[in-house]
Amino acid sequence: MAYQPPKQGLVGQIVDVFVLLVLTVGALYLPLYLGLAGAAKTPQPLENPTWEALGQNAAEQQQWAALGYPDAASANEMITARFDYTFSWTALIVMAVVVIGYFVLVVRLSEKEYREVIAERFGDRKN
Amino acid sequence: MSNTTAAAAQERLGLLRVLGPGHVWALGVGIVLVGEYMGWNFSVGKGGMIAGLVACWVAGLLYTCVAMIDSEVTSTVAAAGGQYAQAKHIVGPLMAFNVGLFLVMAYTMLEAANAITIGFLLDTVAGMLGHSGLNQKPFIILTILALAWLNYRGVLASLSFNFIITAFAFVAIIVLFLSVQFGASAVPLDFSAVSNEPLPYGWLGIVAALHFGLWYYLGIEGTCQAAEEVRSPARSLPFGTMAGIMTLLIAATLTWYVCSGLIPWEYLGNAGTPLFDAARVTGNSGLMVLLFIGTAFATTASANGCINDASRAWFSMGRDRYLPSWFGAVHPHYRTPYRSIVFLVPIALIFALGAPLDQVITFSILSGLLGYTFMTFNMVMFRRKWPLGTIKRGYVHPWHPLPALLLLLICGATYFAVFLGYGTQLIAMLSFYIIASLWFHFWRYRFVRRGDQFTMPWPRPIGY
Amino acid sequence: MDIWNYLEYAAWALSALVAAIMLLDMFRIDTTYDNELLTSSREGELELTQERHEL
Repeated sequence: MAYQPPKQGLVGQIVDVFVLLVLTVGALYLPLYLGLAGAAKTPQPLENPTWEALGQNAAEQQQWAALGYPDAASANEMITARFDYTFSWTALIVMAVVVIGYFVLVVRLSEKEYREVIAERFGDRKN
Repeated sequence: MSNTTAAAAQERLGLLRVLGPGHVWALGVGIVLVGEYMGWNFSVGKGGMIAGLVACWVAGLLYTCVAMIDSEVTSTVAAAGGQYAQAKHIVGPLMAFNVGLFLVMAYTMLEAANAITIGFLLDTVAGMLGHSGLNQKPFIILTILALAWLNYRGVLASLSFNFIITAFAFVAIIVLFLSVQFGASAVPLDFSAVSNEPLPYGWLGIVAALHFGLWYYLGIEGTCQAAEEVRSPARSLPFGTMAGIMTLLIAATLTWYVCSGLIPWEYLGNAGTPLFDAARVTGNSGLMVLLFIGTAFATTASANGCINDASRAWFSMGRDRYLPSWFGAVHPHYRTPYRSIVFLVPIALIFALGAPLDQVITFSILSGLLGYTFMTFNMVMFRRKWPLGTIKRGYVHPWHPLPALLLLLICGATYFAVFLGYGTQLIAMLSFYIIASLWFHFWRYRFVRRGDQFTMPWPRPIGY
Repeated sequence: MDIWNYLEYAAWALSALVAAIMLLDMFRIDTTYDNELLTSSREGELELTQERHEL
């Protein structure tokens, strides 16, 4: 006997969509709200910047000028800004566990549901 | 086929089968080409010029695997929803629900990012012409609404439009490359940073650069969303997808070459519109206008393709009752999933008007990345449950399981790259998918008819 | 007021117009046709008639 799903009313449908919406917006805005978002560069400007000290040759100086940076001082911050790639191993392991755990969870629950689908579509296995 | 099925089929509405391989190419490349006009260059900022080029090619390899795997599965499971329908037939319902969400999130976020970029571009032009403080909101809203309406009116017009503007944007990149090569630039190409400062962050920089290296190609897998509207999916989908990835490999390499040669890498790593900036450096006003139009067209094409893909995925989930069945409706005249298209408009607007660009891009990349990870084991399971020779495949990709393993390896490296700097977002995103999965498994799935989910005329999978 | 201000107003107006057209059409379709017919699309239907999976 095939599984007969209940019919969902209009209110139920609206509530379900709403739940998904709240989850989505929450996932997007929570890190922003908690101020945990994004990686920024930190500039380490030189004291008396010259194009030579900043390692820019003649051609590159011409390019900077065309982009609206006429002298070394104006490009100082942008040239010396660097990312910080130090990270904690604990955080890395936590992330790895979460990613792998997520996929394992989804595949295992799917497998259970999939067996039902196949059984209903093709009939029970005759052994 | 008997007469009764023919009669029953007449009372039913389906999507319209009108597209050819050119439209598939336009859908895939149209979504992605904007990546060459903005975004990819952050990879140069993350690791330097060489890292940018390595990321461009490693990501190219990743997407070649994606395109090969996808072509095989989708030429066999030809249904709207693409990877969603694949997951449903091969892995199981919960995975399918997750994949459907990956698709909708990745494309809706990308659509929002495109609308933000159009607003920014118009603001820049207004500024150059002496009007400061342009209100970007009406233009962002108009972009999303106008493209939604185009999609509402029919898939053939939407994708023919996409074909024209995508081709223009691609030609613009080639024209820029050729003009610079034949001396149209007042400023010489300079690659000295490649030897002077090859890897400012060392090898770690190359891995970190992968995060934005994906942006060169992100979305090419969207070609399979058109499966139900293509005249001959088994031929057109592999052809359009493969032609698309080749186009992008060429465009990505040319873009890296021209931009790295004309723009100091420290600037390039921060640029909002790198190709347009490269045209500005040449000092040639003709090139500037060309690349401005190219940027605008690429962005529009991408937003247009995203609306098409996100609504197909949402529609398919509604049709299977993974979401309220109300969304599974087809417009009786235009034959488009009109309710899904309309519903996703305000969602895109929330993201476009409320969130910062890099946040939106990262969420789009992450959803894409989760989708690629899924493809690896999906492919292995597909070959195991239906080995070659048990069902007819439109295309069989070579060297299985090498592409799947390679894809998994590169996905792992990319997770690490995202972790350097955007770890919090990764965790937030995964928490969202975990909660949504539990909600689906324990609540929503009760409304789904079990056997009806399996729609392909295939034999029973091996081992079940 | 310069041309850009007019463009802003034009964009607002066009947005409202497009939204109105789309919503009106949706309303018209939803009230004209039976919901059963509108949601009658099924996955794999064309597959059955057009694609052959025999070897």
